[in-house]
Amino acid sequence: MPDPRHERFAKVLVDYSTSVGEGDLVLIESTPLARPLVTALYRRVVQAGGHPEVRIGLDGAVEALLAGGNDEQLGWISPRLRGDAKEATVRIAIEAESNTRALTGIDPARQAIFARSRSHLRDMTMERAAAGELRRVVTAFPTNASAQDAEMSLADYEDFVYRAGFLDEENPVASWQALGEKLARLAEWLGTKKELRVITEGTDLTVGVEGRRWIPCDGKENFPDGEVFTGPVETSVEGHVRFSFPAPHAGRLVRNIELRFEGGEVVEAHAAEGEEFLREMLAMDEGARRLGEFAFGMNDSVQEFTGHTLFDEKLGGTVHMALGKAYPESGGRNESALHWDLVCDLRGESEVHADGELVYRNGEFLPDLF
Amino acid sequence: MQSCLVSVGYKTDVTDARISRLADLIVDYSLELQPGQVFRIDALDAASPLTLAFYRSAIRAGAFPYFSVGLEGTLELLLEHGTNEQIEYIAPQQWEEIEELDAIATIWSEANTRALSRVDPARHANYLAAQRRLHNRRWERIAAGEMRWCGTLFPTNAHAQDAGMSLSSYEDFVYSACHVDTGEAADHWRLVASSLRARAQELDSVKELRILGPDTDLRVSVDGRTWISAEGSYNMPDGEVFTSPVETATEGEIRYTFPAIYHGREVEDIRLRFEGGSVVHAEAARGDDYLKTLLEMDKGARILGEVAFGLNYEIDRFTRNILFDEKIGGTMHLALGSAFTQAGGNNTSGLHWDMICDLREDGEVYADGELVWKAGRFLHEPVPAPDPVEAAERA
Repeated sequence: MPDPRHERFAKVLVDYSTSVGEGDLVLIESTPLARPLVTALYRRVVQAGGHPEVRIGLDGAVEALLAGGNDEQLGWISPRLRGDAKEATVRIAIEAESNTRALTGIDPARQAIFARSRSHLRDMTMERAAAGELRRVVTAFPTNASAQDAEMSLADYEDFVYRAGFLDEENPVASWQALGEKLARLAEWLGTKKELRVITEGTDLTVGVEGRRWIPCDGKENFPDGEVFTGPVETSVEGHVRFSFPAPHAGRLVRNIELRFEGGEVVEAHAAEGEEFLREMLAMDEGARRLGEFAFGMNDSVQEFTGHTLFDEKLGGTVHMALGKAYPESGGRNESALHWDLVCDLRGESEVHADGELVYRNGEFLPDLF
Repeated sequence: MQSCLVSVGYKTDVTDARISRLADLIVDYSLELQPGQVFRIDALDAASPLTLAFYRSAIRAGAFPYFSVGLEGTLELLLEHGTNEQIEYIAPQQWEEIEELDAIATIWSEANTRALSRVDPARHANYLAAQRRLHNRRWERIAAGEMRWCGTLFPTNAHAQDAGMSLSSYEDFVYSACHVDTGEAADHWRLVASSLRARAQELDSVKELRILGPDTDLRVSVDGRTWISAEGSYNMPDGEVFTSPVETATEGEIRYTFPAIYHGREVEDIRLRFEGGSVVHAEAARGDDYLKTLLEMDKGARILGEVAFGLNYEIDRFTRNILFDEKIGGTMHLALGSAFTQAGGNNTSGLHWDMICDLREDGEVYADGELVWKAGRFLHEPVPAPDPVEAAERA
């Protein structure tokens, strides 16, 4: 029995997020687990006049490569990956994993080689997106593995995912447009600020944002969405931060990360679980020790932590910051093969000050600011 | 904002050792994959356990593997909803890929072998014609020795159903046909190869074959043609020797005991009469109209493009899949339509339709008047052909 939400999901991604039109070369990237959504997308893309190309990843392949490949094999880029990065005009990437911890046993140093060898493709993708040659959206299809991380049944998790994308509503696009307008006002207002200070339990962090652009995210590049982000001034970050949410990255989970920054750089790093992996990621390259992104999560339909960054970083009442690569459109210049989003819950006792003025308390902006 | 997708998902337990043996056999024996070679695995998602086994095997061999996995059902959607321009579209990177590849493995693995039964045949033909441009380039590179290819099958319920078998019996059938029941598959295929080469060499000196069987008495000239040994390089399983007959010489009658399948349609109990190389009379118990339509396709469609002996005796039954059926030990197949140039054939046609004749009970084959085959077997083992490497060294 087809879930009508798949059709609605596909329609929003094709018509609204990526505006597929005649002649677009559209990559639909996922795993066999997302078959119902991939099939619905494929049909919608054909109907929109695009050329759909399905790219199916198989779990176990990356693990086999990382476990058994030599350095040359780890770093090798297939002609298909290269061609796709160059030729696609639309990319719809659907995360759908059967085991979110499948890479836990892999040597993190080898994962770093793998990530570094692919960073130029990611950079090319970002540049083509910035130049308007590519529209791309990252989304997620609910699977048991993600439901398990979220400590939910699959049925409850499906409801959570579709609610987060407003897909339980009659007209999801109208809701995204409304949120987009609000975020645009917030982004404009934040653009007038020089410095933010975040204070909560275990955290007192100052981030310079002067001259940087804040970008409102309304379901065009991530789906679901709902955040405003910028690239902080690379040398400005000072203080300490505790990330209350566990941080998944590259098939692993790191818990209770605590970082101390001086002059923009991480000078101390601890984690209750996965500390070795954290250190290996920080050592990936020079830019991995600096923040490439600072953002406010603004999607109030996401209220539960689920261990899945795509959702957690949108959680209304949180901030997140990413170690590593900055998005050039924000004015951020940090370069790295890493981009690791870490989420900090501000819904408890917490404050954010902008240029010395209290603007945000316990997970919400004060009224009438923007 | 999150930017990258880690493309993992869909974990499958590779518990059947025969799956990894099949992958190793094709990587090491069929394709002889070398360190540094670029290798693509083409499959549908139903074949994921074998696709992953190929991937692991290629990593072990030091090659650079990647896969192109299609999702069952998407082609149907394209053919149903696409414009002609969409149906005929080939993404530009596909042309680049075909130039860079050193090897491709194709895994046939359908979830429903009749999924395209109701699509518009004209639209399907357009799709195939567009894809053929890409295929032709692939075959040019294979013929030039720049690239290798091997096709195999991963057993699914759909294929088992066509064979009239349970999935587990069908798995046994497929893996024993490939000789991957044990770990010595490559050794087995090397022996098969030397025997088939010897057989092909022996047949090279034959001028005329006469095939006798129930309602069958057919003379086929193979004078001056080259017999080719199909020993597991291009197909797995394999096991046949074939050539292309002299185009103007076929005389007599043949009755095909197995249904002949073309693009998923079955024609039963075909009888053909040849004069001067061409079919002059054709009839079938079921699908007679379709048979006659196909014979009218072009001039070459009435002429034999292939004659072959099926010599894989692990394949002991008809399963409605040409990968296996044409190799059934004890059968011959004679295809109407396009010939193999490497065998010396020059018949051209849009058709190449393999039809299989069971000679396991009453069949006899005479080579230049001498009985060489009876009841599905050659009467004597071929004299082993000299090892080509040794022969070259001696010369």
